[in-house]
Amino acid sequence: MAPAAATARRVPAKSEVLGLFRSLLRTARQFTDYNIREYTKRRTVDGFRMNRTLSDPDAIASAFSDGTAQLEVAKRQVIIYSLYAPKVKSIMDVKP
Amino acid sequence: MASKLLASAASTLRRTLTEKNATYHLFRRLSTSSAAADPSPSAADSYEDADGITMKGVKISGRPLYLDMQATSPVDPRVLDAMLPYNLSRYGNPHSRTHLYGWESENAVETARSQVAALIGASPKEIVFTSGATESNNISVKGVMHFYRDKKRHVITTQTEHKCVLDSCRHLQQEGFDVTYLPVGTDGIIDLEMLRSAIRPDTGLVSVMAVNNEIGVIQPLEEIGKICKEFNVPFHTDAAQALGKIPIEVDKWNVSLMSLSGHKIYGPKGVGALYMRRRPRIRVEPQMNGGGQERGIRSGTVPTPLVVGFGAACELAMKEMEYDDKRISQLQERMLNGLRERLDGVIVNGSVERRYAGNLNVSFAYVEGESLLMGLKEVAVSSGSACTSASLEPSYVLRALGVDEDMAHTSIRFGIGRFTTEAEIDRAVQLTVQQVEKLREMSPLYEMVKEGINIKDIQWAQH
Repeated sequence: MAPAAATARRVPAKSEVLGLFRSLLRTARQFTDYNIREYTKRRTVDGFRMNRTLSDPDAIASAFSDGTAQLEVAKRQVIIYSLYAPKVKSIMDVKP
Repeated sequence: MASKLLASAASTLRRTLTEKNATYHLFRRLSTSSAAADPSPSAADSYEDADGITMKGVKISGRPLYLDMQATSPVDPRVLDAMLPYNLSRYGNPHSRTHLYGWESENAVETARSQVAALIGASPKEIVFTSGATESNNISVKGVMHFYRDKKRHVITTQTEHKCVLDSCRHLQQEGFDVTYLPVGTDGIIDLEMLRSAIRPDTGLVSVMAVNNEIGVIQPLEEIGKICKEFNVPFHTDAAQALGKIPIEVDKWNVSLMSLSGHKIYGPKGVGALYMRRRPRIRVEPQMNGGGQERGIRSGTVPTPLVVGFGAACELAMKEMEYDDKRISQLQERMLNGLRERLDGVIVNGSVERRYAGNLNVSFAYVEGESLLMGLKEVAVSSGSACTSASLEPSYVLRALGVDEDMAHTSIRFGIGRFTTEAEIDRAVQLTVQQVEKLREMSPLYEMVKEGINIKDIQWAQH
């Protein structure tokens, strides 16, 4: 608990924020499931856009640690989804 | 008549298709020795490879796009992520008091309890985990009436409730209780004055669902709660379709009991909860007797992974409610506009204003719903509740609204959710329009309407 609180207080550099954004998008693209993939991409973009105006250092730090935790979840879930991916893709992924 | 013809044609088609498939499966079973490797050996007529799926005689090149969120929703990956540890090494029984396995499971269950409570503005002590909203509804309706059976002999509910409430009421009637089934208006909303006059001195429970599962209308719960408070009658609401979608405050609604479900809010199936007010205290007779878990109201080991998933889903719903709602409203508008632009005779069932946006129940005039569903194999939708989708009877909810028999047969429920995309909506609109146009082209009724004949004036000959 204590180390997490310590990192939460540190304000991330702009490059770190951009790095997190890119990693989230990269991970999102790897989801085998059409809906989850599109949602993760959309939610990432919208989440960063919503928090663009944050100025309070504490709020920025907590948003960043939130995003980092989400990235970990996404990385794990990409693997699980790929393990149990149905043989047939979504109709939305099938080229007409 | 046209619809009957279509239905019979469809059933013959289905029969031939399944027969063909049965022989196919027989071949397969003979040729493969490793039946255990088949992921679904019991599904007699399903077959899946990279080119497509064949199931129930229908061949599709991809998995259908999912627009049936009222039946169930996909599990959110964040929910699954929270659940998995409790399916792996953390398998303890949350009621084990003597070791770490039990303690960590108990902690997880209690965290989940507070996550559920937070979403509805309750205290964690007022949450009882159950197997789902059906069980919660049964405990609420039958449990309350059984507990207060000496003084209270009357229940008030509505005609558009979920089957499990109606069936519980039916059960009570057999035991000699009185039940009033309140009618609803054409918009699906109950009349508050009618409710007020239906309350008797021996009324033991008022049960009105929050968001209707078939037509998505939202009942005026705050006002109902006020009336119940005035007469000092316990108020139960089935909020399975409302949880995480509209803001819920148990104190604002003045509910004594509330049924919640996990799998409608991107959580796991097989878990739900019952909210039971502590002050003033409401008491129920348990349906399940045993080890006395969940304060004796619902005995049986609490399923830690499911409960953890339900808790995570509630926490997510709280965070995402605003975002999801905005998006779902946009998608609903996109869908309705798309359909209305290209088709005439598109009627929304139930109130348009007092409605949860994720539920779009529409009727396409002169088109038989089941035939439309059969044609829309690339879109996973239903004509109404999943519980009754096996029968060709028109929905009792739509009939309660006073929808004409012919229109009740034409309804389709589109369920939009967190993971629905714009592209899916556009595709669904395109496919629906195509199918409706095709069916109308064949329909003699539609032709007659185009020629200006009023269908209601036709005298049908009896055979």
